[in-house]
Amino acid sequence: MSLTNYVRVVERTSIPSSAVLLFGMPDVGLVGVIAASHMISELKLEEVAYIDTDLLPPMIVLHKGTPHMPLRIFGNKELLLAVSEVALPANAIHRIMRSLVEWGEQKNVNIVVSIGGIPTPNRQEINEPKVFAIASNPQLVQWLEGKIEWQGRKLDKPFEILREGYMVGPYALVLQYCMQRNIPAVGLLAQAFYNYPDPHAAAMVLKELSRVIAVEIDVSQLIEKGEEIRLKARDIMKRTERELSKMRKAQEYDIPLYV
Amino acid sequence: MTFERRRRSIFELISEYMRAIEEEIEEQLREFFVDHPSWNPRTCTLEPLCNVFITPDEVVITADLPYAEKDTIEVKPLNDNLFEIKAKLKRKICFEDLGITHQEGEFSTFYCQVRVPVAVEKEERKISFKNGILEVRLPRKKKYEIKIE
Repeated sequence: MSLTNYVRVVERTSIPSSAVLLFGMPDVGLVGVIAASHMISELKLEEVAYIDTDLLPPMIVLHKGTPHMPLRIFGNKELLLAVSEVALPANAIHRIMRSLVEWGEQKNVNIVVSIGGIPTPNRQEINEPKVFAIASNPQLVQWLEGKIEWQGRKLDKPFEILREGYMVGPYALVLQYCMQRNIPAVGLLAQAFYNYPDPHAAAMVLKELSRVIAVEIDVSQLIEKGEEIRLKARDIMKRTERELSKMRKAQEYDIPLYV
Repeated sequence: MTFERRRRSIFELISEYMRAIEEEIEEQLREFFVDHPSWNPRTCTLEPLCNVFITPDEVVITADLPYAEKDTIEVKPLNDNLFEIKAKLKRKICFEDLGITHQEGEFSTFYCQVRVPVAVEKEERKISFKNGILEVRLPRKKKYEIKIE
């Protein structure tokens, strides 16, 4: 192990094979982090691993008086959920996300699902944010469209696919590394505020997630606690926004030229 | 001994300057907007998240104001390009409500000052508050027009 720029996943319990690996990373509207945090409490997920790295700021997070790593993996027998309590530094994101995907590959995960938001300029005018889906291969896109079966399952209702555009940030890398390694990966992105915490978008993503991984998650508490979450999440949102701007996140508004 | 001095193109120089300026701006932003607490127990205020968008016709300021009491929201120009946003919370929030037990203090108001980088008609502002988001629309000043011959 090199003494600098290392990323290692330290397992605290035995990790199930063929699980679903979910990512709830700080991104627009903190949708992924808010959704992940709600999943952890609703499904009573336990910490199964943490990420030891010198690429994050020198910090720990205190919960109930004990220190925890800011980037951890929670789980049960079927699910693994990677979540970060700090904004991921733009210059560290490649190595961190690559290590997490590689770890998932070692654990032979069945599918990788990223949950997050897509910046929507007129978000305050939208009462029910739409959720768009993306996938790492054409077969999965067809599955998400409800056209074919995948692993013996067919969706009753199609997802709206994010067909053209740019993706920037942690989920762009998850998709890239999964595609390169032939790991099935899906992303669910709700219309969200760019830099305001968006619990409503997180609730919409969780509702749609239950169709992909067949796990029911009650979101009523999440909607009820929306204002409290928005108040608490101001600081991490501010820091995340700063890192997103370094990643040129605003490119997601750009119209691509197909060549 | 020969020295080969590669002349840098104007584009390289501009890109280098732009990078330096960006780094400087980022540093300033970090100092002013990030690296200070978002709360002030002395004034009992919380700092909301804010945004400023500039379009060709107007400047749109938004602020995320969870728990804000709609009727108490005030948007006041302090001068031509500085606006003050104030809103009372529906209830007092203390550190314990935010999960913090090692700090003392309670907060009753959102407060921030927002700088607008272009000239605006400050008296013609339109204010709305929907789903906890404050929106202030300010028409841009049309100081002069360039006639096309």
